[in-house]
Amino acid sequence: MANVSRPAELRVQTLEEGPGVTVLNVAGELDVSNAQNLESAVAAACEAHPAELLFDLRELRFMDSAGIAVLLGASRRVPSVRLRDPSAAVRRVLEMTGLAQVLPFAE
Amino acid sequence: MEPGEAAIADAAEVPSGEPDLESEERTDDDADLGAGGSFQETGSRSRWRLSRQALLTLALGLLITAAFSIAALELYNHNETRLLRLRARELSLVLRTAVPTLQTPLASGAELANATGGSPQKFRAFMDPLVGPRRQFTSVSLWPAEGRLFAPRVVVGAQPTLATLPAEARRLFAQARQSGQLVLTGLLPGPTPKLGYAFAVPSAHGGYVVYAENPLPASKRSKIAEGTGFEDLDYALYLGRSRRRSDLLVGNISHFPITGRQASTVVPFGRGAFTLVVTPARSLGGTFFENLPWLIAIVGVLVSMTAAALTERIIRRRADAERLAVVLDRVASENRQMYTQQRGIAQTLQHALLPEALPEIPGLSISASYVPAAAGIDVGGDWYDIVPCGGDSALLLIGDVSGHGLRAATTMASLRHAALAYAAVDPSPSSVLSKLSNFVNSSAPDYFATMLCMRLDVAEHRVSVASAGHLPPLLLADDQARLLEFEPDVAIGVTRDWQYHETEVSIPPRATLVAYTDGLVERRGESLDAGLERLCRVASAGPQRLEELVAGLARDLPAEEHDDDTAIVGIQWRT
Repeated sequence: MANVSRPAELRVQTLEEGPGVTVLNVAGELDVSNAQNLESAVAAACEAHPAELLFDLRELRFMDSAGIAVLLGASRRVPSVRLRDPSAAVRRVLEMTGLAQVLPFAE
Repeated sequence: MEPGEAAIADAAEVPSGEPDLESEERTDDDADLGAGGSFQETGSRSRWRLSRQALLTLALGLLITAAFSIAALELYNHNETRLLRLRARELSLVLRTAVPTLQTPLASGAELANATGGSPQKFRAFMDPLVGPRRQFTSVSLWPAEGRLFAPRVVVGAQPTLATLPAEARRLFAQARQSGQLVLTGLLPGPTPKLGYAFAVPSAHGGYVVYAENPLPASKRSKIAEGTGFEDLDYALYLGRSRRRSDLLVGNISHFPITGRQASTVVPFGRGAFTLVVTPARSLGGTFFENLPWLIAIVGVLVSMTAAALTERIIRRRADAERLAVVLDRVASENRQMYTQQRGIAQTLQHALLPEALPEIPGLSISASYVPAAAGIDVGGDWYDIVPCGGDSALLLIGDVSGHGLRAATTMASLRHAALAYAAVDPSPSSVLSKLSNFVNSSAPDYFATMLCMRLDVAEHRVSVASAGHLPPLLLADDQARLLEFEPDVAIGVTRDWQYHETEVSIPPRATLVAYTDGLVERRGESLDAGLERLCRVASAGPQRLEELVAGLARDLPAEEHDDDTAIVGIQWRT
């Protein structure tokens, strides 16, 4: 009734990778129906005050503006936010919204 | 608004009533749970009145209990009767063994008398040890079997009562001689009732009869001695085959006629017989079996009551659950109603924030459409504006604040008005966006907005476009659709002091530009490029007239279950 569409499938896994670096492995589809889940994961990761938040987007097939908002929100809270291995579709979204210029890719 | 308020007030009552449903201490207050009158009936039900099912359970349980109890009682009675018969037979066997102990000394005495010609000395010497208090007989006498005078020849012990009853003696002795068995007198009258036995040995010269007497207990009452194994019986022993009171010899039954469970048996005794009647002094089969029917009854009644109580509890629970379901149903429908109302309010607000009418710009046709999300009460943050900038130029602004809800809508409103103000100062797209990027960054830190700002030079067929992370507009010319190509800058609100750049694009005659927000092209599980391609395809095949084109895009493109708002603005050069 409320949101007619069922939530898209999204999996978020949080890992520690080296001192001060937290990796969020985001897989599936990220859109307005489930962006809240990623936001919660980001909030939880931020509690440890990491120096860097690394979003691993290798398995993320789709992202919409709600997902971008989460990434931008993270960049405001953590000194360094980088994106790793976005798929072509996600990379395109990042480029079209000019975000590639502010959220650097980690190679 | 009034129905809405009523609905809220109603719904607010429900949580306070809910815990009552779970609690055992339910009272008639339950009726207050629902404001509807339909709950009054069930709510006023007494807590002790059982439902039909519970009553049925109770009745069935009691019926089964009664059946088992009666069966146990029948079994017990049957068993007791059978045991009593067995005991009576055993006792009669014991009594029968008394015959030889009486007969043997009398028979021996008779033989002795015959052999010694009725010698009184020999007879007395033989009988003396058997006669006296606490011995076998109180009186033994030797009588000639024939003769006119019936009188004892020798008497050992007490004078026999029979000596005073010649007729009785004659009858008895005749019987004794004929039968050759122990014969019994009737009850002999006297201060203490007595019983006599006679035995005769037939011989050629008439022979002798030995007669013995024993008194009965004066009260005719005598208990069975302890240790005999018959303590569990009460008995009455009658002379002969009768059960007349007058024939009662001895017993320990005090109430006559004998009632209740009893067994009688006839004990042959020499020539005569006794009748033995026994009743149980206590349960023969044991107290457990005696009490078993009651045990079954008590346990059965308890089990039945428990089952009835459980049934009642289950039924009440179910009734409660059904009532709760009704309440929840109503709350849900009220919520739906409220939700629809709120959604209506939100959409009204959204529309209030959009331009009421598009301005007239010479040389341009303009059409815009706003498609709210298919569901959800959250309003989006999409907006657009077209502002004449003097001469034959205008500024087109379209933007999308991230997120939904009132915050997004109010952020959109402030962005929109700020943009209009900045545009009034300097209608250059890059200048407007640069100023806005500082504005949002300082005012709404958790939001960002994509925005497209285009300055339209109508006469010169040229646009200057600056993009803050917004999707590129569509250019439709000569049935060819393509997206304007330029490098977008970052969305507004991402970073401060960003210098936005402009790109100049020439517009062919009669070309159409369509600016839109992402709801038009984004579909879940689909790449952005696929959505953009679909837009180009649909637009190039769409109708020529701008209004129809925009309406067609608004109708066909947003995903069926889109949860994002969509704004579309189309402008068409008339020349």
